[in-house]
Parts: sequence; structure tokens; C-alpha cells
Amino acid sequence: MSAAGPAGATGHVAGERHRRLRIAALWIASLIFVGYVTAPLVWLVSSSFQSEREITSKPPHWIPHEPTVQNFAAIFAAPKKDVTYETRRAADPASGGFIPSTAANLLPAMANSLIVAISVVILNLLVAIPAAYALAKIRFRGRDASIYAILTTRVIPDIALVVPFFLFIRNLGLLDTLASLIITYLAVTVPFSVFILTNYFEGLPDELDKAARVDGCSRLQTLLHVYVPLSLPAIVAVILFAFLASWNEFLLALMFTQTPNSQTLPIIVASFTSDFTISFSFINAAGVLAIIPPVLIALLFERYLVSGLTAGAVKG
Amino acid sequence: MSASSLSRRAVLKSAAALAASAAAPGAVFAQSGGPLAFATWSAAVDQVKSHLAAFEKATGLKVDYSNSPWAQYREAMITKFVGKAPVDVLWVSDSWLPEFADAGWLAPVDGYKTLTAYNADTDAFSVDSMMHKGKQYGITYYTDFMGFIYNEDMLQKAGIAAPPTTWAEVVEMSKTIKAKGLSEYPMLLSMAQESWLIEFMAALVYSHGGRFTDDKGAAAMQSAEGGAVAALQWIIDAVQKHKIVSPACVETGELAGLKAFGAGQHAFGLIPKYRLRTLNDPAQSQIAGKAQIALMPKGGPKGTHATVGWMRFYGMTPRAAADPARAEAAVKLMEWFGGKANGEYTFQKMLFKDVGAGFGVKSLFQDPEMRAAYAKYGDIKVIEAQTALAKKKDVIAPWFGEWNDVNGAAWQQAIGGKITAEEALKRSAAKWDQLKKQG
Repeated sequence: MSAAGPAGATGHVAGERHRRLRIAALWIASLIFVGYVTAPLVWLVSSSFQSEREITSKPPHWIPHEPTVQNFAAIFAAPKKDVTYETRRAADPASGGFIPSTAANLLPAMANSLIVAISVVILNLLVAIPAAYALAKIRFRGRDASIYAILTTRVIPDIALVVPFFLFIRNLGLLDTLASLIITYLAVTVPFSVFILTNYFEGLPDELDKAARVDGCSRLQTLLHVYVPLSLPAIVAVILFAFLASWNEFLLALMFTQTPNSQTLPIIVASFTSDFTISFSFINAAGVLAIIPPVLIALLFERYLVSGLTAGAVKG
Repeated sequence: MSASSLSRRAVLKSAAALAASAAAPGAVFAQSGGPLAFATWSAAVDQVKSHLAAFEKATGLKVDYSNSPWAQYREAMITKFVGKAPVDVLWVSDSWLPEFADAGWLAPVDGYKTLTAYNADTDAFSVDSMMHKGKQYGITYYTDFMGFIYNEDMLQKAGIAAPPTTWAEVVEMSKTIKAKGLSEYPMLLSMAQESWLIEFMAALVYSHGGRFTDDKGAAAMQSAEGGAVAALQWIIDAVQKHKIVSPACVETGELAGLKAFGAGQHAFGLIPKYRLRTLNDPAQSQIAGKAQIALMPKGGPKGTHATVGWMRFYGMTPRAAADPARAEAAVKLMEWFGGKANGEYTFQKMLFKDVGAGFGVKSLFQDPEMRAAYAKYGDIKVIEAQTALAKKKDVIAPWFGEWNDVNGAAWQQAIGGKITAEEALKRSAAKWDQLKKQG
């Protein structure tokens, strides 16, 4: 016993040390992971407040030594209505000649992106929820074929659709309008939204549908009062998917938009790398603004995110 | 058709053909008779807008101006051409001329003496770059060349009095600079697979007295006596043997290279000449006032100071050319930008003074205003001499894009030590001849 006592105490101490080491290792690993994940974001924000000269310092200045808001000032400057020889360089408050002349187009482009993305989200929900409900809960001839036909449209690469879409949009007289983007983005996103929701609805018991019908609900009421409340994670997934797909889309926006009236954020940001003089710090400032809406949406729906993103992945 | 030959261009054209039948009945120009449609990439936008405002005021003509990012501009324009979108005047890269002209997307301008009259005051390289199958397709927008830039401050610290005149001297000086701890990789090369890559390669090949193709357009790059093999071998040695060029050069794009040079990390660099203005701007560069230009070093016994040049021009579409009134308006617009406006090369001078873009107008080199502007950040005598030695890329062909992918990958593999310079260029030459045969 007397021999076992110190041995037990030693074992306890060793166990405690082992536990503390594990916790410390976990902390260190977690900190490294968090640093790895957040470093690009921190650099994005930090460099947006640096001058073009400071951003290339070696070693890099993670905290700006001479912080400046000149990049943001150029973005928030009022767009010029008429550009003349005299006013042609007014967008560049630093007079360094490196802030792109299209800087003031960024905020209108953000507004265009928001209008398009929100419209696509709303129309996606209006189209995809009833379609998915019908496909999941109503037995009709050609149901499986319909699902496969919808999914097949997603197999076609976007590049192959560009010219047919272009001719379609041109013949409708919608070139250089936001409507052209909303229509084509819907064509691209709705099939996937229907797929996500159909799988989710199929996982919900048919008895719910029957019970609601027995209680006198119409199909629409059953959908709105029974299935939609139970499907919030999947609906959030659709919202996120449709919003982000529209927010980030580049190829179709490149083809269908021509002026700042309809150009969206990815086009305007890409144009910043086209000029004779290119500012990394300015592009990073644009990047900071560009990530705000998606981050806000992610925070807003954070509680549904994990379950929503796996919705439809496995049939229930 | 092999998978590799299924290019983006082919996909676009096929898709257009499929869609054309459905769309044909309505395929009329929605804006026929309306304002001139002027398409550019997103560069010098405010300079263009200001000059357009003056044009509209001076002529009473209306212009619809649109722009899109450079990196995707070619694809965007091809889509618009096959989709018959309204475009009258556009910026065109010399690299796309054969493709655009052969496809019927550009109209020759030989019949417009107002435009061709400027050839006499335009450097031969620029005029030559606008010619295809004996016809001229535009008027100069801007032109520039790949420059050999050095960091004067770093050379002085290393005790080097004058910049190198040969690539062998570049190696020796780089070794000295490296030994003194002034730079880990004194020579900057940006060899990432991007649109600039062919310009970097061509500058090296030309200065080694080499060519990619012969006078008949057949592959010449693989010749053991030609400069292309020697140029690629120089890079391989610089990376692997002398360690004066970073092995990461195959992932370094032109822009990243520029920023690294501006941060003072290199002594020498192949950099587009118009970047001199940026490198000597204290607001953007840590070596402001220290970036200097020298003639391209010579490589090997056949070496010359030649470099590669490029130019962009204003082109007219067949849509504009088909209608005499519209064509006349398009010519006025092209002259206003590419030639003289109110008796002066207003736009060329504005571009140079605002953003440093080079000009292909010979008389502007004698303009006191331009000489004074150049003197602020560059040696105009060297620039003028190097301009005269600039040569157009000898690989401009409709199949350039497809060949360039294979050629770039081969060079990168050789730089990485996976294949020899000879193997890389044989591979590149085989692809060139195969594509040439296919037409």
C-alpha cells in the first residue's frame, strides 16, 4: 500500500501532465489553424489601409505604419457625371496616378450585385420550393424523368451556354441590363435548388402531408404551413447557394454587361487589374467591401449553416 | 478532333452555330443607325472618357463607350462578334489580328487615306503589326516593348559602375550582388503561364539572336544553332546552376514581379518599359528614382540588343464599314484617338503623361514636352534606341493561343529541370507545325 501510494501519486501526476500537454497541444494546433485561416483576411484588411509603397515592404507590415484611407476615399468619392480633360484624374486623391479610374464604379456595382443576388434568391425560392414539393410528394407520370431532366441541365458547362444565352438576351433587347443577369442566373441556379429541396422534402414523412390534407389543407397550405417551417436548413442552403452563385458569377456578367449601369462587382474588380497602373492596396480595399455582404449573410443564417449545407446530401 | 484541340474558341463557335438557327429570325442590329459603339478593355478609362467628351463636342457625333477587363476581353469580343452585337470601333491586340481578320470580324482600313496617312509618322514595327495578308487593319492605340530594367542603387552598393551589356555579364554581376548579400535572386524573371509569358520569352530569344519561326512561318525554335535553345538554356542555368533567378519564377506573374522589383528585391529585371513610371513613383515604389533602363543584353555569339515589342490598335468592324456614313464617323473617331485631334496627338500625349504608355509616333520623340516628361523617370536616348530595335512577335497566328499553352508548359518544365531545353523546344516546334498544318 505504501509502495502503491507514491506510485499512484506519480501516475496521477503523470496523467495530469499528459492531460495538460494534450490541452496545450490542442490550443497550439487550434491557434495555428485559426492563424492559417484568418491570416489572408487580416492581411486583406490591413493592406487596404496601406499605401502602395508600404504594401510591398519586406517584411510585410501586418499593422500599417502609416495607415491611410485613400483607397476607401476613392471608392466613396462621388462618381463624376462628365469626365473632361481637366477632371480626368480627380478620382485619385493621392495624385499618385495608381488608383484606377473606375474606382467610383465600385459602389454602384455592389448595388447591382445586391439587386441581382437578392432577386435571384427570391425567385429561386418562389420557383424551387413548389417544384421540389411537387417532385417529392406528388406521384405523377414522368416524375423521375423530370428530376433527371432538371439535373441534366447542370451538366452543360457554362461556357457552352454563353453564346445561346447571348443571342437570347440580345433578341429580348436586354443586353446591358440587370434583367439579363437575373434571367440567366435563374436558369443556372434553379435546377440545383430544386435538387437540394427535393431530397430534403423526400426525407420528411409522407404522413405529414396526408395528415395536413385530411385536416383540410390545400396543397399550397400544406407546403407553406408544414413543409416550409420544417425545411429551414435546406431553404437556408438554397439562399446561400443562390446568393453566392449570383454574387460571384463572372462569365455571364462579362458577356451581358457593358457599362457601369449593369456591371456587377466581379467585373468591376477585374477591371482594376486591367489598367496601366495597378494598385494591390486598392484592390484589397475593394475586396474588403466585396466580402461584407456574404459575411453578413453567413452570420445571419449561422445557426442553420451546418445542417443546411448537408441538406439533400443523404436521403432520409 | 483531339480533346486538346477542343479550344475555347471552338466551343464558342460551335455553340453559336447551334444557337444561330433559333435566333436568326430576330438577328438584326437593334441599334442600326444609332450612336457609334466603341469597345475597349478597362484601361485609361477616364482618359478615354475625357477625350470622347471632346470628340462628341467637336463633331456632334454620339458614341456608346463600353469596356471590359483585359484578361477576358478577347473572349468577350468573340462572343459579341458571333452574337452580332453592335460594335463599330474597338481596341485590338496585335496578337489577335490574324484570328479576327480571317474570321471577318475586322474590316481593312486601306481605303481610308485619313488613317493610312499616319503611317509615315508611325514606327515601322507598329505599321507592320497592323498588317495582315497585305492589308492594314487599324491605327495605333499604343505600343511598347520589353525593357531591361536595373536597380541603380543596388549596382552601386555592389561596386558595379555600369549595367550589363550581355547576358553573361548579367550572370557575373548577379553572382557579385548575391555574394554581397544584397539580393537572394538578383535577376527577376516572371515566367508564370499568363498572357505576358510570350513577351518575356521572345525578348530573351531575340536578344540571343533567335526566332520562334522562319520567314515561311515554320517552326525554327528547335534549331540547335538558333537563339531559342540558347535563351532557354540561359534561364535553366540561371535558376539551377547559378541560382540568380528564383525557382519560383514559373509561378511569378508580371504584376507580382513588378511589385517585387519595386520593393527592391532584385537588381535586374525584364519588365514592360511603361512600368518605369510606376517604379520611379515614390508613392508606389521603394526604389523610386533608382530604376533605370538599359539596352537588352546580348546573348551568345549571335546576340543583339533586340527586344520584343507589342502594340494595340483601333480597329473597325465590317458592320461600320458596310455603311458609308457610319464608316466615316468611325474613321473620325479612330483618327481622333489614334491620330491627331485638333492638330495634335492629344490622346497619345495624354496616355504617356498620365500612365506612361508608349507611343508609336516618331515625331513625338522630338516633342519637348514629351522629352521633358520622359526625363523625369527614364533615359529617352536608351528608350528611343530600344524602340528602334523592337520586333513584333513571330508567332502571331490564329492558332497562337493553343500553341502558347503547350510552349509555355514546355518552357516551365525545362526551367524546373524535368526536361532539357532541346526537348522543350522540340515539343513546342512539333505543336506549332501540327497547328500550322491544320490551319
